[in-house]
Amino acid sequence: MSVLRAQGLGKIYGNKGSVVYKALEDIDLQVEAGEFVGVMGPSGSGKTTLLNLLSTIDRPTSGHLEINGVNPGKLTDKKLALFRRRELGFVFQDFNLLDTLSIKENIILPLVLEGMAPRKIEEKLRPIAEFLQIAAILNKRTYEVSGGQKQRAAIARAIIHQPSLVLADELTGNLDSKAAKDVMDALKEMNEKWGATVLMVTHDPFSASYCQRIVFIKDGKFFSEIRRGSNRQAFFQQILDALSVLGGNFDDVPFARA
Amino acid sequence: MTFRSLALSNIRGSWRSYSAFFLSSVFSVMIFYIYAAFLEHPDVLSGHIVAASKVRQGMVFCEYIIVIFSFLFVLYSNSAFLKTRQQEFGLFSLFGMTKAQLRKLVIYENAAIALLAILVGIGLGMLFSKLFFMALGVLLGMEETIAFAAPLKAIVMTGGGFFALFMLISVWTALRIGRSEIVDLLGAARRPKGQLAFSPWLVALSVACLAAAYGMAFVMNAGTFVLLALPILITVVIGTYFLFTQLSILLLRFIQKRAALYYKRTNMIVYAQLGYKIKDNARILFTVSILSAVIMTALGTVYIFQLSGKEGILQNSPFTLAYLEKGANAHEVIDPDKLKSIVKKDGFEIDKEVKATGIQLDKFSIQETGGRLREYKEVSSIVISATDYNKLAEATGQPSIQPESGKLTLVQQVSGGRGIGAGVVKGDVNGEGREFPLTGTVNAKVMNWIGSYYLLFVADDFSYVQLSSSVPEEKRLALYGYELDDWEKAAGTAAKLRELVPPAQREQIHFDRPDHYGELMETVSLTLFIGMFISLLFFIASGSMIYFKLFTELQEDQAQFRALTRIGMTKGEIRRIVFTQVGIVFFVPVVVGIAHALFAMKALDNLLESSNWIYSFVVIGIFIAMQTLYFLVASRSYLNSMLRGATA
Repeated sequence: MSVLRAQGLGKIYGNKGSVVYKALEDIDLQVEAGEFVGVMGPSGSGKTTLLNLLSTIDRPTSGHLEINGVNPGKLTDKKLALFRRRELGFVFQDFNLLDTLSIKENIILPLVLEGMAPRKIEEKLRPIAEFLQIAAILNKRTYEVSGGQKQRAAIARAIIHQPSLVLADELTGNLDSKAAKDVMDALKEMNEKWGATVLMVTHDPFSASYCQRIVFIKDGKFFSEIRRGSNRQAFFQQILDALSVLGGNFDDVPFARA
Repeated sequence: MTFRSLALSNIRGSWRSYSAFFLSSVFSVMIFYIYAAFLEHPDVLSGHIVAASKVRQGMVFCEYIIVIFSFLFVLYSNSAFLKTRQQEFGLFSLFGMTKAQLRKLVIYENAAIALLAILVGIGLGMLFSKLFFMALGVLLGMEETIAFAAPLKAIVMTGGGFFALFMLISVWTALRIGRSEIVDLLGAARRPKGQLAFSPWLVALSVACLAAAYGMAFVMNAGTFVLLALPILITVVIGTYFLFTQLSILLLRFIQKRAALYYKRTNMIVYAQLGYKIKDNARILFTVSILSAVIMTALGTVYIFQLSGKEGILQNSPFTLAYLEKGANAHEVIDPDKLKSIVKKDGFEIDKEVKATGIQLDKFSIQETGGRLREYKEVSSIVISATDYNKLAEATGQPSIQPESGKLTLVQQVSGGRGIGAGVVKGDVNGEGREFPLTGTVNAKVMNWIGSYYLLFVADDFSYVQLSSSVPEEKRLALYGYELDDWEKAAGTAAKLRELVPPAQREQIHFDRPDHYGELMETVSLTLFIGMFISLLFFIASGSMIYFKLFTELQEDQAQFRALTRIGMTKGEIRRIVFTQVGIVFFVPVVVGIAHALFAMKALDNLLESSNWIYSFVVIGIFIAMQTLYFLVASRSYLNSMLRGATA
């Protein structure tokens, strides 16, 4: 069953009189339930635009998008917000955790907004927190914990309401290599053991090597696609090769941890 | 780009957060200028406007209040601005701006704002001063209007004074910046705002202070006023301060532990943000509460004074028109029929009409049994019959009396005071020395004070007939009392009637009630009129503090709401959160202020021995309505920028 189906997706920026800029053109993408898909591309290739379209915070100018059988373009603003809240989970590069809330409150936010009973919320929280090894820091504030812990909390928040699709945007971009590895391990576990479907946009070949499949885009168009075998080390090498074919500038995120 | 244009573009950039501060400053300058323009008005100075002396002192007092308040307000706002801009200053320092340059930048900015505020304030002041003069002219009951004038001295005083005030504060605040490290400045916004910690002792102190203050206010009366006024003030201020800094945290912690309440949809975000910001907000909430309480109490006080003043006038002059004649039917003062026809012609109805006859008692003295001798050599009194007394008592709503046969009862026309007990009254009736036994004293105001007749003696009807038979009719006295229906407006009629009385008999009339009432109303409306602007200034300033607070946190809040929108928060939910948060900040101080004001008014009621709750509620209602208006404007503007930021 495909969770995400995009056909001929395009996005053109520009208004009357000004120069028209094609950010995305004719992208086809399909993600099956339980998959872990990566999207890679050099700077300016349209990764962020694609992610914004898939996150339903921006609307495509052409093509067709379906998430879990629903076309988000046809929903009203309010329904769209509720759709994001129920069907999607987000992990961002800059965490997007609220400073005003504790770690625990940040994680359970999607459930609280849905009006779930406090007891049920606790039931849902406990296994995830333990699994992600953040049970000890639940009552801390965001500025009291490390970047890796923050990102794991963000993963917990993205997954606690069991969304159809988790969208991750450069989630290791702000982390050191040790924390990045922990976070990627955690995300992989969530994918494998909890059956979460993940679509991740990244620059970073190391993070990308956790995916089962990687789609490369360049200049707003589909470029190539590679699939992982059994060995992650070999896959990493494959990614590097693909990137060198792809060309372009990957320098805006340091490679130090590769 | 010159240094000055950098300062100007800084102001333009943060105009939204400057705007409320700017408006309050403009308003203070405007009010100050309008008052100054009146005080320095050529016609006032030359003494052309005689009535000006009635408001002069009040206005000078208000000018002082405006200056003191502006000083505190500008000081607070300035340091708050600088605090919110630390990061910006850090950046400037990082690029190599020296401390001296940084200070110069701040002073330039403040000078620009100050000049603009003063110019706009004086300009608006000139525009509205004519309107103010017109209103004042009406309230002072002046025939001709006060001409428009823009006295140079008023302009110089306002402009120079406020510029000096602004500059003094900005230099002082500028000297305080640049003492911290650049790293600290850059990270200022990200610094954790501290835990929700409170001290149980301070919470207890807060509760104890408020309880003590309210308790004292509740029992305070005229006797204990001097003793309790200051302690009440101090305990209220301390209690309110810790209410917001300590008790509020206790309350939030309590809510956060109630999962069913806390984990209920948007509640969690609202309360968490409240807790996060409480340290920053507490002092503002405290200040605004106290200001609200002061405004409401002051306005309530004026109202209550008006009412109790009216009551006092009614008590002191039971009849609108009252006079005394020598000779039972002589009409040496005024013919009652003539009086009645004039009153009717002027469109008034006579509600009550009483005539009482009496006998003059001269050079009298009272010897209380077992007490001292009271001698009244200079004044005369009057003896009236029980029937006539009871007519007066009925017309003025006093209890009737039945004197013992052959004895007199003293009626004291003053409230309170211990009466004279049983004894003997001696005095001259028609030149003959007489002696009567006295039963005691009744305190009742049944007649206006005319001349010296504030003491009346009442005899039983039989004794009175006996006594009066010895006095010829032309030497008997007659008291007339008329109560009009619309007496408040009868000042003109009273003056007309007074003209008809021969000058020699003017001592024997009391037509003053409408005049007294007119004077009272004039004082009250002038006080209200002048005080209203001060209240408005307080109100606008307190609102602007809240407004400023909201908009300095705008960027942080926008980032939060952007994150929330991404993970699927609807616009409706954002709206609910914003309205609740802004509402709490706007209305919690009002609720606390109302509580304070109610107890203050209760104390005032005790002082004046009256009860005027309806009027207190009117004042409070007006205040709530105005605050609601302010809230709607602020929350709408805040919400719009929030939604704009959230979708961007």
